[in-house]
Amino acid sequence: MNVRDVALVGGATIKFGVRAATWSELAQEIGVALFRAMPELRAEDVDSLFLGAAEPERFAFQSHVAPFAAEQMGLRPHRIIQRTELACASGQSAIRSAYAAIASGLSDVAVAVGVEKMNLPSMAEANTSMASVMDRAWDGPHGATAPPFFAMVAQRHQLEYGTTDDQLAAVSEKNHRFANSNPEAQFYEKSFSREKLARLPVVAPPLRLGDCSSMTDGAAAVVLVAADRVRKYTDRPAWVRGTGQYSDFHNLANAGSLTDWVGLKVAAREAFDRAGIGPDDIDFAEVHDCFTISEIVEYEMFGWAAPGKGGQFAADGQGDLGGKLVVNPRGGLLGCGHPLGATGIAQAVEVHRQFAGTAPAARAVPDPEWALVHNLSGSANVHSVMIYQGGGAS
Amino acid sequence: MSAEARPRRPVPTVGPAPGELAATPAPAARTREKKPFLLDFFPLETADQTRLSRFFDRLKEGRVSTTRCLKDGVLLWPPRTACPQHHSEELEWVDLPERGRIYAFSAVLGGAPLGMETEVPFAVGLVDLDGVALRLFGRIEGKPWTELRIGHRVRLESFDIGDGRWFYRFRTED
Repeated sequence: MNVRDVALVGGATIKFGVRAATWSELAQEIGVALFRAMPELRAEDVDSLFLGAAEPERFAFQSHVAPFAAEQMGLRPHRIIQRTELACASGQSAIRSAYAAIASGLSDVAVAVGVEKMNLPSMAEANTSMASVMDRAWDGPHGATAPPFFAMVAQRHQLEYGTTDDQLAAVSEKNHRFANSNPEAQFYEKSFSREKLARLPVVAPPLRLGDCSSMTDGAAAVVLVAADRVRKYTDRPAWVRGTGQYSDFHNLANAGSLTDWVGLKVAAREAFDRAGIGPDDIDFAEVHDCFTISEIVEYEMFGWAAPGKGGQFAADGQGDLGGKLVVNPRGGLLGCGHPLGATGIAQAVEVHRQFAGTAPAARAVPDPEWALVHNLSGSANVHSVMIYQGGGAS
Repeated sequence: MSAEARPRRPVPTVGPAPGELAATPAPAARTREKKPFLLDFFPLETADQTRLSRFFDRLKEGRVSTTRCLKDGVLLWPPRTACPQHHSEELEWVDLPERGRIYAFSAVLGGAPLGMETEVPFAVGLVDLDGVALRLFGRIEGKPWTELRIGHRVRLESFDIGDGRWFYRFRTED
């Protein structure tokens, strides 16, 4: 079967944060932002819509959300209209589905949009929704949520490799600093020194508030098209060159090692092999820093840092501008906030901006050619990876 | 097995579904508010709701158990109705070892789900059970989280959650 080349040709995000807006209002807002960012995009050209949305049933009491989003955005998809749900990776799942649809010839022009409304009047209710990502009946009653799970990852990494709280803070400081160049980030106007981070309250020991991404309302959208449509939209496309995914386990009892994320390595190998490149070729990466420890483990699992050396890699600024590669120039989940279904899409928007040369100087990666996007979901039991090529390649 | 007294909560806003009272024997003592199912993490435990009701029946006898695949003797967690390796439903119930050691732990100091806000701070952890290849996640009662260490010994116990249902947790040993 012939597989067509697919490129990401544009996108937009709205302001992330604690928004005085409903789910449908966020969806209307991203519709406005997308068509403003891409004046050459016509609604009737969009044949398919893929919506990344993790928990609209719980946070917005709304099912059948893909056509709901289409109506808010002023779209009438006539080939594929569907929602993708993969918790924190719901957004990337929408992009992967759009990619597959275009590559197969079923779609020519697809929008992948992510919408999540998370801040409710009752935080406990929101926390309950978040906890339902875990095995509800067996892990849930104990109080399993993401922070204590990733705290255990940090505890084991500290025990096994000597990783320090200050090395965790180095990740947070970097990503919050990058977010200061991103007006759409939740923490655009907030600065976090390592000293300040060390004084923030503990959420789940050893993780402090600054080690954790936030409950965030947000939306983001990208447009993917078949190779023969690219020139209509941009001369700086981001070509999808590789992708991989792996689902390892679900119940926490079946996690195995907390510091060796086998699923990430399997997904990365698939993506790198498909792209025909290796980890050293990556110029910048948008990886899933739901917690600081996640980014440190990811440095190691992707092969940028040696096993156990992710903390040192962070402290040495190897994921910063001027380092081995730039990691999370957008500001990461830590700096931008983490509206589950929108996160993976917003990461792809950053890939487009870096390749198109429209990222602000404070976070611009010099002459990037290869970019990697990673999302984990749940208790790092699933990993999703995409690799893009820019730099004017055709 | 100690049934710790839990604070009384406000009067429930949603009562039992029609037919539920007839299907479920009246519990001896209700100290826990009945929540709507979608806001309550504890599973439905009775035989009219789950094929795994034996697990909960045994909890009431003080036994924490799971299913074992009869094809190869592998212990499965959580308890299952089918072995994922052999796609077989030939399983048997076995009691789990009562003791184990903490592999990793943390604590919830804030951001607890509904119904657990009054229990903050509480410790949770992964525990390697003695003599079997199982590492269970659960609440750790006994010592405060600040006094817990990796390798500490804990005991697996069942407890009455206060509305007729039972669950399991770990308790530190001295």
